[in-house]
This record gives sequence, C-alpha cells and structure tokens, in this order.
Amino acid sequence: MDFNPCMKHKLIRKTVRMFAEAELGPIAYEIDRDARLPMEVIEKMRPLNYFGLQAPKIYGGAEIDSISYAITIEELSRVCAAVGLCVSVHNSVGLYPIERFGTEAQKKQFIPKLASGEYIGAFCLTEANAGSDAGGVETSAVRMGNHFIINGTKIFVTNGGICDLALIFAVTDLKNPRESASVFIVEKNTPGFSVGEIEDLCGMRANPVSSLFLEDCRVPENHLLGKVGGGLRIGLVALDTGRIGVAAQALGIAQAAFEASVKYSKERQQFNRPISSFQTIQNYLADMATEIDAARLLVYRACDLKDSGQPFGTEAAMAKLYCGSMASRVTNLAVQIHGGYGYSKEYDVERYFRDAKVTEIYEGTSEVQRMVISRAVLTKLT
Amino acid sequence: MLKLVVCIKQVPLVSELPWDSRTGTLRRELAEGMINPACKHALEAALQLKQKHGGEIAVFTMGPPMAEEVLHEAQAMGTDRGILLTDRLMAGADTSITAFTLAKAILKECPDFDLVLCGCYTSDSETAQVGPQLVEELDVPGAANVHHIELIGKTLRMKRISDNFIETLEMELPGLVTITTQEFQPRYVPLKGLQDAFEGSDITRIGADDLGLDMGKLGTTASPTKILNVYSPTAKKKNIVLKGSAKKVVEELFDRFEDKIGGAIRKDLKVEKKYNE
Amino acid sequence: MSENNRSIWVFGDYRNYFQNRVTLQLLSRAIELADKISASVCAVVMGHDVDEYVGEYIAHGAQKVYVIEHPQLKNYSIETYSYLMERLARIYKPEIIFVGATMFGREFAPRVAKKLGTGLTADCIGLDINEDGLLVQIAPSFGGNLLAEIITPESRPQMATVRPGTFQEIPHDYNAVGEVIRIPLPEDLPEDRVRLISTERWRKKGQRIEDARVVVCGGRGMGSKKKYKKLFELSQLLGGIIGATRPVVYAKWVDEESLVGQAGKHIRPKVLFSFGISGAIQHTAGIGDAGFIIAINKNINATMMKMADVAIVADANQFCTALTRELKKRIRS
Repeated sequence: MDFNPCMKHKLIRKTVRMFAEAELGPIAYEIDRDARLPMEVIEKMRPLNYFGLQAPKIYGGAEIDSISYAITIEELSRVCAAVGLCVSVHNSVGLYPIERFGTEAQKKQFIPKLASGEYIGAFCLTEANAGSDAGGVETSAVRMGNHFIINGTKIFVTNGGICDLALIFAVTDLKNPRESASVFIVEKNTPGFSVGEIEDLCGMRANPVSSLFLEDCRVPENHLLGKVGGGLRIGLVALDTGRIGVAAQALGIAQAAFEASVKYSKERQQFNRPISSFQTIQNYLADMATEIDAARLLVYRACDLKDSGQPFGTEAAMAKLYCGSMASRVTNLAVQIHGGYGYSKEYDVERYFRDAKVTEIYEGTSEVQRMVISRAVLTKLT
Repeated sequence: MLKLVVCIKQVPLVSELPWDSRTGTLRRELAEGMINPACKHALEAALQLKQKHGGEIAVFTMGPPMAEEVLHEAQAMGTDRGILLTDRLMAGADTSITAFTLAKAILKECPDFDLVLCGCYTSDSETAQVGPQLVEELDVPGAANVHHIELIGKTLRMKRISDNFIETLEMELPGLVTITTQEFQPRYVPLKGLQDAFEGSDITRIGADDLGLDMGKLGTTASPTKILNVYSPTAKKKNIVLKGSAKKVVEELFDRFEDKIGGAIRKDLKVEKKYNE
Repeated sequence: MSENNRSIWVFGDYRNYFQNRVTLQLLSRAIELADKISASVCAVVMGHDVDEYVGEYIAHGAQKVYVIEHPQLKNYSIETYSYLMERLARIYKPEIIFVGATMFGREFAPRVAKKLGTGLTADCIGLDINEDGLLVQIAPSFGGNLLAEIITPESRPQMATVRPGTFQEIPHDYNAVGEVIRIPLPEDLPEDRVRLISTERWRKKGQRIEDARVVVCGGRGMGSKKKYKKLFELSQLLGGIIGATRPVVYAKWVDEESLVGQAGKHIRPKVLFSFGISGAIQHTAGIGDAGFIIAINKNINATMMKMADVAIVADANQFCTALTRELKKRIRS
C-alpha cells in the first residue's frame, strides 16, 4: 500500500491546477454570476484532452488512470466547480457508457468526437417522476422498422444547454419499465430533440443545466446502446463511475474553501491578533483538514479498485456520500470563519458554499448512497 | 536532421515553499518543483523550431532525482528524450561548474547538436550565467536574451534587446541561445502527453562516473565561488498606516513623503502653502 | 606578486548613459575597497573613439586605464570583448574585476569568468572586503527575498557584476591624473562568430520595468479592467511603469509583460505603488528589492500592507483617482 502520490499524479495535479488558475480563476466569479459556461475556455480544453480523459488513445483519448481522472476533476473544481462538473459528467456518464457498452461501430462513430471535445455529452435519466427510482421513467421508445421513436421530457440535465450528444433513458414497454429500460444515443441535430430553458440554480450556476424535450425523435436502431432492457445495468455502471467524479468535485470545492479559510484566518485581525490564533478557529481548521484528507483517501481508494478491475460500486458510493457531506460541512465552516465577508459575494467561499450542496444531491442523493452502502453491508453480514 | 538541445532547471514552486520569512530559512528539499519559467519559453522555442523544420529535441536537466519530473513535463509538451544529471557529487555546483557538467553531458549524449537553447535566467538564483558559460564550454557561437529566432539553412538569425538597443544577429550553427520570457509563450501541457511521458519515457540518468568525472571536478568542491551565508534581508519598515477619506489621505501622503516620491520621479512636488491656504 | 601591484579593475561599459553611470559607480566603490587591500583602481576601455570615456574614468578616480582602441571594436561584441578581456587579465592579473550588471555586462562577465576559470557572482547589491582580504559579494536570490554572501577563495580574479544604482559615483575631478596604457588590437584576433546585422536604438516601450524608478502595480482589488486602466494615467504622471499580479494578467486586464513576481519580472524601483494587491508570495517574490513601498488596500491585514512603508487603508480605485488628481495639481505648480 503506497500513500505517496507518484510523480505522474503530482505532475497531473500541477498541470491541471496551472491551467485552471490561469484560465478559470479570473472568471469563476463572473461566470457564476452570469450563469455562463465559458466556451472560450472549453475551446482551449479540447486539444488538451480534458474531454477524453480516460477514453482509449485509439479514439483520441488520454487514457489516464482513475486517480489521475479524479485529480483532474478535483483541481478543476477547486477553481471552478461548474466546469469541473461539465468535464466530469461528459467523461463519466456521457462517454464512458459508450466505451463500455457500445458496439465497435458506435465506438468508432462517437468516441472520437466525444474524446476530442467536438461533442459535449450528457446523460438523461431524471424525469419529473423518476430519478433514483429508474422504474418511474416515462420516456418511451417505440420501434418503427429499423428506427425507434422516442417521446418524453428529461429534466435537470447537466450540460443540457450545450450538449451535442445525450444518452437518453427510455422504456420500450411502459407496463414493464424496469425490464424494458434502454439507453439511446441521441444527437442534438435529431429532429424532435430540443433544449428547454436553462435552470436557475443555487450553485454550479455556470453549468447550463436544462430540460431536454424529445418529440417523435426518430433514432436509428443502431443508436441503441447495449440491448433493449439493458438500460438499468448501464445506468448503474455509469453512476458508479459518475460518483467518483462527483466525489472529486466535492473534494476540490472543499479544498478551495479550506485554503481560503487558512489564508483569511491568518489575515483577519480581531482583538489585535489574527483569528487563526483563537482555538475555536484552529479547531475548525483542524477538522476541515482532517475531513478533507479522509475524503481524499476514500476517493483514491475507489479509483484504485476500479483500475485494478475489482468491484468498486460500494466504495464509490462511500466516497461520494462522505465527500458530499464533508464538502457541505467544510464550506459551511469556511463561511463561518469568514464571518460577514463569507456571506458576501465579495469572497469566493460564498460560491463554494452554494456549489458544495448539490454534491449531496445529484448522481444519487446521500440517502440513495446510504441505500447502496447498506445493501452491500447487510449482504455481507448475512 | 535538426538536433536541438534544451537545458532546463527545476525550481521550487514558491507558493508551496516551506518558507519562514522571519528566519529566512527555506527547506528546499520539501518544496514542490516546477520548470523554471524562462526554461519553459526555451522549450517552446525549440518545439516551434521542430514543428517548422523537423528534428529531435533532447532535454537536459541537472538536479536531485525528483528533478526527473521536469523531463516528463517537457516530453508531454513534445520533446523527444530527456537526460537527467543526478549525483550527490554534483550537488552545490555554482554556475561555472554547472556549465562545465552540462557541457560534458551534452557532448557525451548529443555531440552533434545544432542548437542549444536555455532560459535566460532562473527564478531562484537569477544569475543568468549558465547559458553564457555553456557557450564557452561548448566553444560555439552564442547569444543571450534572444526573443526571436529564425533558421535559414545552417544560419540562425536572432533578435534581442540589449541595453536599449535592438540587435539583429546571425551565427552559423552549431550555437547556443538563451531565450527571454518576452515571446514564445509556452503551450499548455496536454494530459495525453503526460500519460505518454510516463508510459514510454526516454530518460537517461547520468552520474559522475558516466562522465568520467570525480569529486574534484564537480559540485561544491570544484566550484570557485563559495556561499558563506544566506539570510533574509531584515528590512525594518516603519509600516505607517494611513486611514481616512481618499482626499485627506492623499494630502497626508504628500505632506509626509513628498520628498520620497518627488525624489524618485525627479520632480518637485512641494506646494507653496500660500496658494493652498 | 608584490602588494603594490594589486589592482581592482572596472570594465568600462559606456554604450549608453546608464551603462556609463554604472561604470562610474563601480569606480567609486573600487576606490573604497582598494584602500583596504592596498590595490590600484583601473578601468578597461575597448572600442573606437573612446577618449572621452578614458578622460571621464580618470576624472572619477581610475588611476590607470587600459585602452584597446580600433575601428573594428566600434560595435559592442561579447565574443571579441571577452576574448580581449581574458588576454588583458592574463597579462596584468587583476585581483578583482567588476562589471556593471547591464544586459551586456551580464553576458560578458560570465564569458570572461569562464575563460579565466574563475568564479563570478551575479547582480551584486553589496561588495566588501573581509578580514582575510577576500571580496565579499552580496547577491540576491528569489527576487531579493533572500541574500547570499559569496566569496571566491582560491581562483583569481574575483569577479562580480553589480547592479546599476547600488553605489554612488564620486564627483568628477578633471585635474586628476591617471596613467593611460594603450594596447594594440592583437593581430591574431579571431573572427567574431556572431555577426551583428543591424542595431537600432530601442525606443518603443521606453524603459524596462526592471530598471524603472517608479512602478505602479495593480491587483484584483482595482475592481475591473476599466478601473485598472486608471493606473496607466497615474503611472505616466509618475514617469513609471505598470506592473501587475498574476490574476490580473490572467484576467487580461494587462499584458503578460507587466507580470511582476516569481513567474514574471523582478523589479527594484525606488518607489513602488501597490494598488489592491493582497501580497501572495508569487507576487512578492519579485518585489524584494523595492525601495519605498506604498500599498493601498481595503484590507489592512493583507500581506502587502504589512510589507509596506506606508499602508493606506482605502479602496484602491478611489485612492488612485484622488492621487492622480492631486499629483496633476502638484506637477503643474
């Protein structure tokens, strides 16, 4: 067991940090305020392989290991969580399912476009009456010759406003949603595919989260990912991977909040001394540092399991559960340490505080993570 | 084929330095490193030459084993091979001995080089001496602080600013240039490049034995200069704090420090009181 | 070698006004140090039509001037000048050689030192003689945040480049007498391998930030790109140069060349104005040599405010406006 980061991981961290601080740092505040995804930065990220992090090199990806992937998301999110989210979702639940479940033809057709960032990917499971309960999916896919006709509405789609390709969950038999759940690769230019209004959210505001409408969308049958009825399995695998991404986002946000708190507590003077000299503040900082470190180990452990081909679903859920709640606690303390300034948009911790919350919600709420974890725990013990 | 050599140095990332400004102590061995900024511009210049004329780039660095990192980073940017000069005997070399050691390694690993590129100075010791001294060791023509290069056949045309003169220079290769940070904005490192650099890196490690050199020729022992003492300048600043409305503070600033400011800008900033009152 | 044969040499760098001044400054310090080791002070001048400088150096204290004059030396050349300097040093064996840390000097000196197989300390901000009679060279590193004392115990000459403005020149005395030793250009002078195609005075950007007497640095605390622009007017009034922190350069409020700090320029102005800068180490690593620092920040506890001689608690942008207005008034009167 080696807890020391290797040279590659250190260098990837420095590289991404340098890019993020240079390109995203100066605009993080403004794009959050204006709810704008910075396409000019996305453009620069394309040739640097941010959109094909783990995709095979033959398809133009960087083929980095999962710890490197987590570090990349962590460092992007440390500076700008909304862009970290865009990259994480694209890679983990947009591209990866095609790599894992796609036919050779599908891989050849879509992965190079996704890995180069020409296409931004999205993943659409959530509906008004379905989320963690995939059984409630009402979007339908009806076979018509060698096509499927898809109808339905997806909500809270990360990257929705800019995606070029979406993986759509639909059922072929509304009476048997679980058994007939299927995933379709739908391109933006497909007639009947349209983007709804961008959501006005609490945090991650620079990401264009939106609804997607599918009205008599004709999708060729060779865009079916896996087989009819294979949707739930694809969803579960995609979400296991996605959870690592969300955990890494939470970690990055918490790290940023912690660094800001250390800096501020050393600068801010009260009673003629820096507030870092007060034991209460010291205790807060110690707790934040410890929790962040514990969270980081959980994330990297899940990554390591994934790379060595072992089951990692439970560990990814643990990492996501812990990182999400940790990020909320840490950013909350960061605001507290900053006092009135922390509650103001003049300081970044206010944004971290808003951005952190959703990591407890999306890609499976903390409650659902606990279901996943407890199921594994209870199975083992019986 | 064009054979390019770039010499780079790993310097401490100051934001990460375990740094005590009161005692001025640095624990450099604990510091995270990075490619010296000017060296990165030299790398970019070499990469642009390679893109235009083809060829091969060999990157040399001298430092502790951890300095290998900068060779991987260079490779991720597009260089072809790395040579790490690392040996405890090499530690503590001053610029003269650094240039000597680098030259030995270049002549061993890349004797038929066309052009050596260095950064114009390092952000830690800032001597700007290794490049020019390497010119002497290699006995080739060379120019420092170059911001523009153009290769025409075997002739290198260069531009540089030297003491308020813009000079256009030419030399026949092989030669050496040091590159300023003015142009050749370094490219970002692609992540695939990093992955490749760690999967199949071509890095040669060279120690004193490989160069046929012993302690008497290397490191602290051989260096003509000796460092007696390093300390943090104890500037005893008064740190006068001024507060109040901008207008009032400006007046106070001039009332109290008009000589300081006026002296620096070589202007008399005194206001005849009678006009004022 | 007998005691009275010892000499301290100063390289006669005269190509422009500032280069010439540093030569005079070095002569002044050389005189003080020569006293401690009973050495003579010599200047070395190469070029064409250089009598003016020979006279000036004698008037400023050079007891002896070695002159190599030839039309072929009309243009400054690193290769030829360092070749000649090595020959002279091997013949006359100076104890110490000082070179001004001009762009030319900083390339010339290391070449000469290497040819002579001796040590060299760059960019010294202090020079002294210790109890053993050795030259102590004080050089900055990490942008002036650290200083090192360096000696060259064995090899000779002891060599240092010295920053312009480090020492005060002594007043000239045109009655002073000095010995002028004219040395012919060696016939076997090798051809210069670096050809000067053209040279022109560089006026475009005026002075470089590294040499500026006044620098006006602005950080994110200026508020916006538009507000940041106000610093340019102020800087112009002060005859200064604009500097910036990394976030501001990243935000494209100002060009990369204005970046001051670890990854950018290291500055040493007499007066530094620092507007809305918190004082991250990436920035302060480049300002360790600044003389008088005036920092303006809303946050009195910012690191930059603590480093300042005068810390002004104010909105950087508003203060900039007020300062500009007042300065205009005062410069006019």
